[in-house]
This record gives sequence, structure tokens and C-alpha cells, in this order.
Amino acid sequence: MNGRGDHVPRVGNQESLYRSAQMSLVQIYMPTESAHAAVTELAQLGNVMFKDLNPDVTPFQRTFVSDIRRLDEMDRRVRFLQSQMEHEKVPVRPLESALPFLNFSTGGRRGPLQMDELSTKLREHEDRIGQMNGSYETLQRRLLELQEARHVLRETAVFFNQADGRHEHIRTSTDDDHAPLLDDMETGGGRGDNDSGFGGPAFDLEFVAGTIERSRMPTFERILWRVLRGNLYMNYAEIDETFDEPGKEEPVRKNVFIIFAHGQELLNKIRKIAESMSGTLYPIDSSSDKREAALRDVHSRIEDLNNVLFTTSATRRTELVKIAETLSAWADVVRKEKLVYATMNNFLFDSRRKTLIAEGWCPTFALQSIQLALQRAAENAGTNVPPVLQELKTKQTPPTYQLTNKFTAGFQSIVDAYGIAAYGEVNPGLTAVINFPFLFAVMFGDIGHGLIMTLTALAMVVYERRLSKLDGGEIFDMFFYGRYMILLMGAFSVYTGFIYNDIFSKSLNLFKTGFDWPANATGTVEAQPNGNVYLMGLDPTWHGADNNLVFTNSIKMKMSVVLGVLHMSLSICTQVPNFIHFGRPSSIITEFLPQILFLHCLFGYLVFMIIYKWSVDWYETDATGNLFRNNPPSLLNALIYMFLKPGQVEPEKELYSGQAFVQTVLLGLAFICVPWMLAAKPYLIWKEKQRTAGQGYSHLTATDEDEEEQLINGAGERVEGHGSGGEGGEEHGEEFGEVVIHQIIHTIEFCLGAISNTASYLRLWALSLAHAQLSEVLWTMTIQNVFGMTGITGALATVAGFAVWFAGTISILCGMEALSATLHAVRLQWVEYMGKSFIGGGTRFEPLSFEQE
Amino acid sequence: MEMLTFNATGGYLEGVVRGYRNSLLTSQTYSQLSQCETLEDLKMQLSATDYGNFLANEQPPITTSTIAEKATGKLVGEFQYLRDNATGPLREFLDYLTYAYMIDNLILLITGTLHERDTHELLDRCHPLGHFDGMEALCVATTVEELYNSVVVETPLAEYFKECLSASDLDDLNIEIIRNSLYKAYLEDFYNFTQRLGGTTAIAMGSLLSFEADRRTLNITLNSFGTSLTKEQRAKLFPSIGRLYPEGNNALARADDVDQVKQVCDMVPEYKAWWKEGGMGGGGGGGGEEGSEVEELEGKMFREETRLNRIETMCQFNYSPFYSWLKLKEQEIRSITWIAECIAQDARDRIGDFVHV
Repeated sequence: MNGRGDHVPRVGNQESLYRSAQMSLVQIYMPTESAHAAVTELAQLGNVMFKDLNPDVTPFQRTFVSDIRRLDEMDRRVRFLQSQMEHEKVPVRPLESALPFLNFSTGGRRGPLQMDELSTKLREHEDRIGQMNGSYETLQRRLLELQEARHVLRETAVFFNQADGRHEHIRTSTDDDHAPLLDDMETGGGRGDNDSGFGGPAFDLEFVAGTIERSRMPTFERILWRVLRGNLYMNYAEIDETFDEPGKEEPVRKNVFIIFAHGQELLNKIRKIAESMSGTLYPIDSSSDKREAALRDVHSRIEDLNNVLFTTSATRRTELVKIAETLSAWADVVRKEKLVYATMNNFLFDSRRKTLIAEGWCPTFALQSIQLALQRAAENAGTNVPPVLQELKTKQTPPTYQLTNKFTAGFQSIVDAYGIAAYGEVNPGLTAVINFPFLFAVMFGDIGHGLIMTLTALAMVVYERRLSKLDGGEIFDMFFYGRYMILLMGAFSVYTGFIYNDIFSKSLNLFKTGFDWPANATGTVEAQPNGNVYLMGLDPTWHGADNNLVFTNSIKMKMSVVLGVLHMSLSICTQVPNFIHFGRPSSIITEFLPQILFLHCLFGYLVFMIIYKWSVDWYETDATGNLFRNNPPSLLNALIYMFLKPGQVEPEKELYSGQAFVQTVLLGLAFICVPWMLAAKPYLIWKEKQRTAGQGYSHLTATDEDEEEQLINGAGERVEGHGSGGEGGEEHGEEFGEVVIHQIIHTIEFCLGAISNTASYLRLWALSLAHAQLSEVLWTMTIQNVFGMTGITGALATVAGFAVWFAGTISILCGMEALSATLHAVRLQWVEYMGKSFIGGGTRFEPLSFEQE
Repeated sequence: MEMLTFNATGGYLEGVVRGYRNSLLTSQTYSQLSQCETLEDLKMQLSATDYGNFLANEQPPITTSTIAEKATGKLVGEFQYLRDNATGPLREFLDYLTYAYMIDNLILLITGTLHERDTHELLDRCHPLGHFDGMEALCVATTVEELYNSVVVETPLAEYFKECLSASDLDDLNIEIIRNSLYKAYLEDFYNFTQRLGGTTAIAMGSLLSFEADRRTLNITLNSFGTSLTKEQRAKLFPSIGRLYPEGNNALARADDVDQVKQVCDMVPEYKAWWKEGGMGGGGGGGGEEGSEVEELEGKMFREETRLNRIETMCQFNYSPFYSWLKLKEQEIRSITWIAECIAQDARDRIGDFVHV
């Protein structure tokens, strides 16, 4: 992978993950009449990122504010119609199939005329729907009132009937209207004064009847009681029906109440309170005949109203269904138009020459297609003056545009989540394509689980066309987006599974094993090597052996360190093309060389010791049967004593002869690297300064306005990169002291990081161990228990046991464990890998595009 | 100790209120707002701020009242969220904040009823934060006692109301007295509550409420000149807290004209500055004509309040940011409404007369 750097030109212009695409700053002069068409074309192309050329101008003072405002209005109308659809549950035709319905009388091209037409259309529809809603609402309110009136009539009838029925039994204490009210209460409420008029022509019962929301009932009662000091008789009944009150979301429940009180003033008070608590009062006649008549009348009117309401609702629905055909297409047109005008607002408007001047970044390779698009736009707009595109020379830092395809997009997004790479730097996303799934697989090594994962991802890849149309929810979309990543992760896991010889915690015995178990032995037995070498991966004989764990732990631990050192070395090496690209070759000597030396003098040597120890047969005997060598020495101790007792290695712990000398030299080299890293670069910078000062130049700063932007954009780079001797043109204003401090921090960070990061790679071993153990536990706890059973129970138990085991395998091992391994792989990618070479601080290239997020 | 335990109960809400506070408009936005030509411009400018698309679904033409209503609606929504999530003393604290609005609503309703306005119109004008159960029934009350017995007795204001029961009839003067004595009782109660909470809350809220009390005292004094309010009655309305209390309050109770008020204010350096000659006030509130000194004072008081609130929102681990945020946000809405009103009525020369938050 790294080799690709050799034949990709330094300033590559083809699609490549190695570096971000080369960008050009372009200026486009558009005649006003074709500007709209040009921006539309460019947005369809999606390759230009326009700059805001009037950052000081407030939104409402920009050139196309009236268009934006009109579009906002259209947007509001569309939203209104959409809410109506939702309310009426009319299905809206999805965008893809709605587009053909979008026919304008002005022809297929988009333009101001078309927008006028759409605007009128939307207004008409809104007005019509609004009117229908209005009449519907009035009708409904009338219906509501009538229904309430019906209930009030019915319920009051019940009260009155009860009163009539009981009337005979009630002792008529008095027929004096002015009798003390308290007495009335005692003798049966306000009904006491009924009988003066009962049966007579004038039924002057004093009461108020109406409806009120049920939730307000308690308050209502309390207030009435307090205001009237208890001088009332109140009766109420709950209405079972709910009412759909226009303007309210929830259906409303109401109560019918009837209040008897005495005296005009009190009644007025009751009326006022009831009205202010949004109750509705209905005039009820106290004579039952009239009530009957009123009820009949109400009934017939309800009938009529229902008919009218039904027709109104049906017409409204037809109208909505018609709109629903094209609504989403309209919404799409409005959205795009808004985007176009918002972009055009970023352009400079030259009113004298009637042109718009746009500035923006685009990838250099796309210049041709942009030219073509602009020509197309001119043709579409019917003018013969095409927009003019001009490439500008600039010192500004362009945005970073990593060209990806559906395969690399997932990996690139992991890198971008850490930070956007600087323009032109070696993209860590390139190596991540292989490194990331491989590190994952080291932690996830199992043929079975890997196969499940591979097949799942493969299914998503094969059916991607069909699945991409499906909206499977956020979680599925996330997995779907990373399907190629999962595919690689799964495939690599199968490979590492073969190396670990692990399939669902069992071993495969594919080739000839290298060990034989002694026949008919009891107690602890030892397998004897038979001269074979197992062809690939771990010998299956280890499976089930007592010292299996000891052996695999040792091998995985060592492997983790080896992989870690290689991974980190790769990262340090990617600095070299960066230094060359940014024109700082001196940094190869001042930074790259001491770093790689330091790492390899200490941990590279550890890797050497690991491999050396593996390659030596420690129990080789000479002809007499005496052991040839020492016991295998502990590498950990060897490394520790390399620091503690430099130059001394006890003979019995010696790995090879001359070890002491080699270690002293390496340690010395590593120690030299520290001041080298620390001082070399500041010294070079200082010397450079002296030289320029000696030649009579004093701190020359660029004067053009680009410089300021350069400083802002370059800030991120400088933190990590520290510039170098002004060659990069980013040294201005940076004090020498700052350089020194940065270098000190950087050095300390690297030296400590080398140690802690190496240790951090042990997570590869730890997670792989955890995975293997968990998988074994799952096997022994579930399916292994049912294997001994026989007969029908055995068959059933096997099915049940398998179900449990398989569910656990999928959810715990392939789900949770995979997530945790992914997380650790991401960390290794971000911290251990990118922490060593990543410059970052770039800005993402976000082109103008009609595509929706 | 407060710092250790505060976040357990109030940490989340403090964070939320701090976020709300940071979304207050900046002076740059204000200057852009005052450049607007039409209300449509204003709407567009506001959509770039935290107000977002709060007006997006309004049918044009938009009016000043819609803007104010929607903005208040947003404030109320935010406050309700805080209150719904609050527990313990914070909840009580936030409840206290609504009492002030309840008093305003109460007075609004009874004044409206006195002048025979339409009840529903009055209810619409009530501040939603000061809504209480049975508020609607206020309109039937004709005497103070009836008022108390029918509605107020159920509300948290009942306790404050006891003082005012002596007044018998509801007329404009009495309503004014009721309002001020309610406020006095409320402020004192709130002050005591915050002092009981102790810690930074006590200190911060102490200074905020003292200012509020002083402002009321001064306003009562200035407004009582030339009315039938006796000096004893006036003295009774002064809250017994604040930096002017007690000597200043006593002096104010005896004051006969503006000059005497000025002398009282000289006791407090911050208040003294209000009475400096026109042009010193920075931002020049209210025109500076000869008779409008008092009017100008109002603006300066608002500025001082805003200043205090801005300071207090910076304190951490206490409840005062909630109070300050509410006040600042209210001020912001007032300012936006003022700007909108100026634009609508084409009174561009007065557009700068709002209080920057």
C-alpha cells in the first residue's frame, strides 16, 4: 500500500485516496440572465464549493432576498398543505414517482416563469383548502353546538322528570319566593319554588343550563360555591360522547350542568362565570312540551348539518388527493430553488455590468466538466454569453476533498470522524482500508463468527441496490453504510480464525497434526512431537490441552507487540511523503529519523528478540543428550534489565552471545535520539533566522490579504507541524520560544507515547483472549450439555440447546463482541496510528449539491 | 459544600438555563435588527438567531403583536420545561418567579372588569406564566373581600392578600394599592425564601431583589405625587428590604417632590448616577426634555436591572441565573417588540431607545 506513493505524482490529479484531490480556486462571471441556470447546473454537478463573498451583509440586504422571501412563502404553503395531508391521512406520492406529474405550461426548464406558475398554483390551492377548512369549521362548530344542545335538552329532561316524580313526595314548605334560601336547601334545593308554577302556565323556575369541559368542572363548582356562598343547587351529568372541537388536537369531553339559584343577580353571576370559563349556555325552556319540540328541531338540524358536513369533507378530500399527487415534487422544486438563490446571495453583484461574480473551490480535475456545465446553462437560459470561468492563483489553503467510492467511504468516515486531513497530506484513510479490518480481525479471530459476518455483509453488498431504497431505520442504515467494511472485517476474521484454529471455540483438524497423544495412558500425559509441522495456524492438538491457555496467551501477546510496532512504524513512515510534499525535507532528518530510530532501538529490538526466540529450538540436545542451550530467557526481564543494568547480561539469561554489547549500543542510540528530536529542529530554525537576518532581511511578512487566511487555515497545521525555517511560509509571527516549547512537548509526547502505545497494542491479545473464552463458555454452558442426552428428549433438548447457543452466538459474540472489537480497532487507528503522523486541521470540501443528506 | 452537591439536583437545569442565556441576542444582532426596513426583514434576521423559524408558519402579513406573542410563547415553553424538570427548592424558586406574573394578571383582570372590558379579551392579554386556576372568575368580583373569598384564597397569592383586605371598594386607587401591597408582600416573602436557601443564592438574589424593591419604592413615591394617596398609606406600600431601607424609605415616605427623592438616591452610589444631567446616561433614554426626567429614570432603571442580571447570570451553583435569565429574556422580548413597533409605525428615529440585553 505504501508503495503507491512512488508512482502517484506529487500533485496527483486523478482519483486517489492517497492524497486529497487537488483543488483550484475559480472565479465565475455570470451574466445575471444566465446565473440562475448556471447555479442550477453546478448544483446538479455537485463539484463546486462557493465562498460567501459578502460576509458583512445581513441576510435581508442581499441581492436575492425578495426571491428567498417568496420561496419561504411557498415553502410555508407547501408545509401547510403537508400538514393538511397528515391531518386528513391522505397518502402523499413519494418523490420519485411524483416527478413525472410535475408539468408546467412553460415547458421543462426551470426558470422564473415556472416559479411564478408554481407560486400561483400553491396560493390557489392554499386559498381553496383554507376556505374549505373555514366553512368546514363553522359547520362543525354549529354541529357541535347542536349536539351539545341535544345533550343538554336530554339531560335536563331527566332532571326535570326526576323532579316531577319526586315532587309529590316533597313537603311543600312554602311557596314564597322570598323565603330564606337556606330553608330551600334543606327542603330539597331549589325545587321548593317549582310548585308555585308547576302545572301553571308560567313556569318561572330559575336556572342556568349548559355544557362545560369536564376537566374544568371541579374548579367551576368550587368557584360557584364560593361566589354564591353555597346558594345554589347544581346538577350535572357526564356526556359519554366526545366532541371534536375545531382547533383542538384532542377530542374534548364535556359535562352538562344545570344550576338552580335564586334571584336575577346570582343568575347573572353564574352566567358570567360559566362564560368566562369557556362553558356554553343553552336556553332551555322549562315546559316539557317546548323541550320536546326543541329536541325534535335540533335533531332534524343535526341531520341536515351532517349531510352538508359530509359533502364538504368529501370535496376537501378530493382536492387534497389531487394535490397529493404532486406535492412532494413541488416541495422538492421549492427546496432546490431556495438552495440556488441562497447560493446566489453569496455572489458579488456588479450592477454596472449586470454580472454576478462567484468565487469557489473545485477539484482541478472537474474544471472541464464545470466548463461544460456552464455552457449548457447558457444554452438553457437562451443567452449567447456563457458564464466565464477563470482559475485564480492563490495562497489560501483549499478545502480537503477526499475522493471516495462506496467501498472506501466507510473507512474514510472513520478517519474524518477524528479530524479532517490537511490539504495535500497523506490520507490515513488509505491504510485504514486494510489495517482497520485486520486489527479488528486479530481481536475477533474465529472462523465461524467471521463467516457469519462475511455472509451478512455479502448479502448487503449483493442486494445493495434493493436495500438502498429501503428505509431500514437509523441502526440498519449505519450497518448498511459500513457494509464493505464489515465484509472485509468478516473475511479477515476468517483468516485469523484459521491462524488461531478456532471455529465456535472448537478446532479444525485439516492437516496432519504435529503431536501424538501416548496411547492408553492415565493421569497427566504429554503429547509427543511426531515430526510433522501443522501447515497453517495453531496445531489442533493444543485444543483441550492443560497448557493451551498459557501457550496461546504467550503467542498472542507477542504477536500483538509485533503487529503494534509494525503499525506504528508505518505511521511514522507516512511522515516522509508529507515532509517532501510540504517542502520540508530537513524534517526527515530532524523528526522522522530520530523517531524511527528511537522506536526501533527499543521496541524494534523487542520484536527482534521475540522472533529470534521463536526461531530457536531451546531444547535441542547435542549428541550426548545434554541440553545445548540455557532455559529460554524471559523477554520481559531482558527488556527491563536492558534499562536497569545496561551492559550486563547474566550468562544463564543470555539470548545470544554478544547480547550485552548490542543492547548497550541500542540503548545509547535511543538516548541520543532524545536530544536529537529536541534540539535539531529549533537549531535549524534559529540558524535560518540568523542567516536571513545576516543578509539584511528583517522579518519579511507578506502583505496581501491572503496571508491572514493563511494564518487561520494554517494554525492547525502549525501546532503539529511546527513549520520549518520559514520554507513553508507559515512562520510569520511565531516566536522562537514557541517553537522550542512545541518541540519539547512533542518530544516528551513521542517518547512516552512510544512506550504506552506499544503497551496499548496488548489490547489485541486481551480482546482476542476474551473472545475465545467467551465463545468457549457459551459452548460449554449451552449446547455441550445436551449432547449427552439420548432419545426423544435428547432430540428436543438439542434443538432447544442449539437455539440458545445460536442466539447467544449472534447477539453476544457477533453483536456485542464485534462492536467492542470495532471500538478498540477505531482507537488503535485514531490514537496509536494517526497520533503519530496526522496533521489534520483541514476544512471539509462541501460542494453545492441538490442531493439530500 | 454547595459546589459539591449542587449539580446533583440543579446541575442539569443550570446547564439548560445557561444555554438559554447564551442564546440571548447580541448587540450586533440588535444593530442589524434596527437596520431592518420591514417586519419581513426582521423576521428573516431573527430566523438567523436562536428564535429560529418561530414565525415561519405565520401567514403574512405579520404584525408586531404576533412577534411578541410568539416570542413570549417561546419563553414560556422554555420556562415550563425548566419548571417541569425542577425538584425541591429549585421548583419552589421557579414557582416564586411566576407569582409576580400572577399578581400582574390579577390586577389586569380586575382593572379590566372595573372598566367593563370583554373578559375573553382580558384573558388573552394575561401573561401565560401567571395563569392560575379560577382566574376567569375574577371578573365577577366587585369588592376586595369577594375577590379574596372567591378566587384568591386558593392561589399562592392568598397569603399576600391578607394585608389588603381592609380596602373595601374596587376603584383605580385601591387596585393600585392592592397591586403594590401584593408586590411588597411578594418581594418580602421571596426575599426571605432566598435568604433561607443561603449560600450564593442568598447573596445574588439578595442584591437582585433589593434592587427590585428599591425600584418599586422609588416608583411608588414618584407616582404618588399629586394623588390622593396619603403619606402613611404610601409608607405602608414600601417593601421592607432593599438598599434604601430603612432610612431611605423613611425619607421617601416624607418626600414631597422630586428633589427630595434625588437626595435619598444620593445615599446609594449606583442610584445617584441616574439623576445626573441628561446626556450622561449613555444611549440617551426617553428624549431628555425638561419634564421627562422621571420617564428617563425608568429607562435607566431598566438598564441597571439588565446590568445586574447580566452579572448574576455569571455566578454558578445557585438559583439566581434562573431569575436573571427570565428577566433578561423578558427584556429582550420587550426590545424586539419595541424595534418591531418602531419599524411598523415608521418611527425610525426612536428605534435606538431600547435596552440592550
